[in-house]
Formats: sequence, structure tokens, C-alpha cells
Amino acid sequence: MAARRALKAVLVDLNGTLHIEDAAVPGAQEALKRLRATSVVVKFVTNTTKESKQDLMERLKKLEFDISEDEIFTSLTAARNLVEQKQVRPMLLVDDRALPDFKGIQTSDPNAVVIGLAPEHFHYQILNQAFRLLLDGAPLIAIHKARYYKRKDGLALGPGPFVTALEFATDTKATVVGKPAQTFFLEALRGTGCEPEEAVMIGDDCRDDVGGAQNVGMRGILVKTGKYRAADEEKINPAPYLTCESFPHAVDHILQHLL
Amino acid sequence: MAAWGELLAGVRGVLLDISGVLYDGGEGGGEPIAGSVEAVARLKRSPLKVRFCTNESQKSRGDLVGLLRRLGFDISEGEVTAPAPATCLILKERGLRPHLLVHDGVRSEFDQIDTSNPNCVVIADAGESFSYHNMNKAFQVLMELENPVLLSLGKGRYYKETSGLLLDVGPYMKALEYACGIEAEVVGKPSPEFFKSALQEMGVEAHQAVMIGDDIVGDVGGAQRCGMRALQVRTGKYRPSDEHHPEVKADGYVDNLAEAVDLLLQHTDK
Repeated sequence: MAARRALKAVLVDLNGTLHIEDAAVPGAQEALKRLRATSVVVKFVTNTTKESKQDLMERLKKLEFDISEDEIFTSLTAARNLVEQKQVRPMLLVDDRALPDFKGIQTSDPNAVVIGLAPEHFHYQILNQAFRLLLDGAPLIAIHKARYYKRKDGLALGPGPFVTALEFATDTKATVVGKPAQTFFLEALRGTGCEPEEAVMIGDDCRDDVGGAQNVGMRGILVKTGKYRAADEEKINPAPYLTCESFPHAVDHILQHLL
Repeated sequence: MAAWGELLAGVRGVLLDISGVLYDGGEGGGEPIAGSVEAVARLKRSPLKVRFCTNESQKSRGDLVGLLRRLGFDISEGEVTAPAPATCLILKERGLRPHLLVHDGVRSEFDQIDTSNPNCVVIADAGESFSYHNMNKAFQVLMELENPVLLSLGKGRYYKETSGLLLDVGPYMKALEYACGIEAEVVGKPSPEFFKSALQEMGVEAHQAVMIGDDIVGDVGGAQRCGMRALQVRTGKYRPSDEHHPEVKADGYVDNLAEAVDLLLQHTDK
């Protein structure tokens, strides 16, 4: 194997990795402190369609994680960046709680569609409006394409099916900005001054966290918490750089072997 | 332009799409496309056989025919091949009890069908009923089934009403396919079985029939795959880019049904 460059940055997934819903993964706060005592840059990356950075911060504070807002990079941030880069005025099909992350973005007379998970907006009239914009050539930006998610009352449709519907209707492809999109990981590293080969990603989703990160040249560490199911590590090729019990174990490995 | 005489040689029967060819739906039922009422009448006076082949799945066949007659068209229920009656046959044949994700206007077609304890989902152009809540219910029914069966009445991308273009059933069918990781069975155009049953009911062989529609993929592509010739009209959902479609090329493009009928009456055998 080719010699790897020294580690400069660690990307950490949130839900399922640092905490599970409203409970911290045991030992995670203390492990984060140990990681911060080194010279690496730490960033927190997550696919969210309805929680703004502020919401995430509040939860992390409650769980006593020492994290600042500018260290968080979410799929909503990625969507916002793309909107700014393309200089478009999006129709925002996102949950109202996500709107703070788009503050200051011009949305009148839209010429783009940003779609997240917004059950209350996914009715026929609104989707028709989005459809007509797309037919006129507006780009479709998808926060992510999850098929479904688990709700207290059972499985519920995610944004993916509705993205697929609009893609089919207009014969176009959405730009997906969330994990596992390559640009997501590259954007998360932007400003850290380090290359993918100098970064590691820690997460509980084998395909979206580990596979996605490894596809851009990062090392991926899979933790067996959150949504992890037995044998998940066999789902991707090449396999995860490392699979371990939980976030504190991942930090131990980094401190012992990668610095 | 094409040598129409050659193109239309030997045509004995005509299949007509309805929405976007005969009329544009919309407020108050909709309005006929200019020249189409007379065009249908002229066609029916000619020796050519005529049948209507529609993917309309928001209204029952009876309601659709009633609307068209009010708009002045000479048409009866027995002349229309539509997906809801075809679906009922399939449901009965296979002992399927559907969860219906359909518009209230077409529900009466399923009056004789057992819908208790569903073991499949039937999706049609539900219009305003395509809410997140209703899509989610259909999704949950499919996910509970060991062998999920999804029947879709057509798979059109969109259609035109007087107010503009509207999403058809196809995108919603694709949404459920993607969510459940399954493939739907399409009842209606462009499914070959559907065209074949229309041809059979008309009593004309595929190579002697021409399809006239506004949908480059569903009407034109579907009919051509069955061995028919197909013309696209520049009405309804037609868009100029259709004439450069990467996969489908119509045998001819005409401005509207009236022009198509002019050509047919001029160039087919008397």
C-alpha cells in the first residue's frame, strides 16, 4: 500500500455516531476532547433536511459536546453553497425548520428548485409548480435521496421518491448535495487546507459515510452504533479502512496510529 | 416533407388518443381542440375504422364520454379503450384486492372489486389526491406485502390542461418504485397488451393501423413498438423538442387532428 500522508482533518458524523437521538454515545464527549488536544481539524458533517445548524447546536450543547457552529457542515449548508455558486433564486421545498440555513437567499421569482424532506409541501399543486420551473430549465438540487425513514408510527417516505418523480417528469437529473455525493466531502474540507488523503471520516452509515468518503480518497472508519447492522462493513468495496465499536474507539485508533 | 401517400399506404384503421388530441381538459371540463370535432366526424364517415385509445384515469369511461359528447364529439363508451376497465379484468383474473390511490372520479369503475385487506396497490392519475399522506399510505401497504404488486394506469409524465402542464401518474409511480425498490406493471399506453386489445376491438392488424397522439413516448413510441405507424400532433402536451427526441421518431408530425384526417382521407385507399 502506498504511504499515506499525515492526518490533518477528521470528519465526524453526528446522529448515530456522536449521539443517538437525544443520548450521547458513552464516552463520546471525553473522546472528542482527546481528539481536540491534537493538531487535527475536526468537522462535523451530517445529512439533515429539516434541522438547521442552530437546532443541531442546541442538541449538542444539551449533550455537553464542545462544538461551535462553524465546525458543522450539513447537507443544507452544501445546498446553500451550491445555490450561491450558481447564483440562482431557489424555490425551497424544505421543512420550515430548515429555513434559517437559507437566510438571506433570494427566493422571489424562482429559477431553481431545492428539495429536501417537506411532507407539508409535497402536495400536488406545489410539486406542479416545481415541475413547471424544471421544464423551463431550472436546476434541481436535492438535499439527499433517502428512500424512506423511520417514524414513530412506522416507515415514511423520504425525499428520494419525490426527487425521482420530478426527475422522471422532466427527464433531468438532480444534483444531490448530501452524503454520499463526492462534492459533499470536498466542500466539507474546503477551508481546512487539507487534501482528502489527509482526512478521515467517522460514521455509522457504511455506504453514505464510509463509502462516500473513501470514494474521494479519504479513509473511512465505520462505527457499530446508530444504524449499523451486522455485516454492514461487507457492503462496500474496498472495505472500510477500519470498523470499530464506537466513536471513542475510533479516536483511540487515530491517536495511536494516524498521528 | 414526407411522402404521405407512401407513409399512409394500406391504412385501414385509426387509433385516436383523446386528451391533447380531441380536447384539452381544464376548468368546466375543458375545450375541444380547433377542428377536432369535425375531424372525428369526417373520419367516422370514411371507410376507415376508428377507435379511441386513452390513458385517462382520472374519470370513469362513462364520465369521459359524457364530457366529450357535451363538447360535440360523436363518440360512445363502446368505442373507447381505457385503462380502468382493463385493470379490473387483471385484478379479477389474479385475485388481487387493491388499495386504490386514484381520483374520486374514477372510483366507480372499481365498484365491483373487493378492496378489503389489500394485497396490491393500484395507482392512477389522482390529481389533487396525490398528497404526501396518500402516497405514504400506498407506500406502507406495499412495504407490508411479501410480494409487492403495483399496477399503474399509464405512466405518462405530464399532460396539458387549459391552465398549463400538469404532472401525470408516471412520476408518482416512479416515486413508489424508487421507495420500495420494485417495478410497477403498467396497464395502458405504452404497454403492448393495451395497444393490442385496442386493435383487436377495432378489428384491424397492427401494420394496417395508425396511432395519432400528442405523447411522443406513450403514444408514438408505444404504437410503433407494436408494429403500428404513428403520427404526433402539435397540440396538447406537444413540445417542439419532441421532434428531436433521442429515442422516438414519429412517422409524421401534423399540426393537429384536422390535418391528420385531411392527409388520411387524401392518401388512404378509398
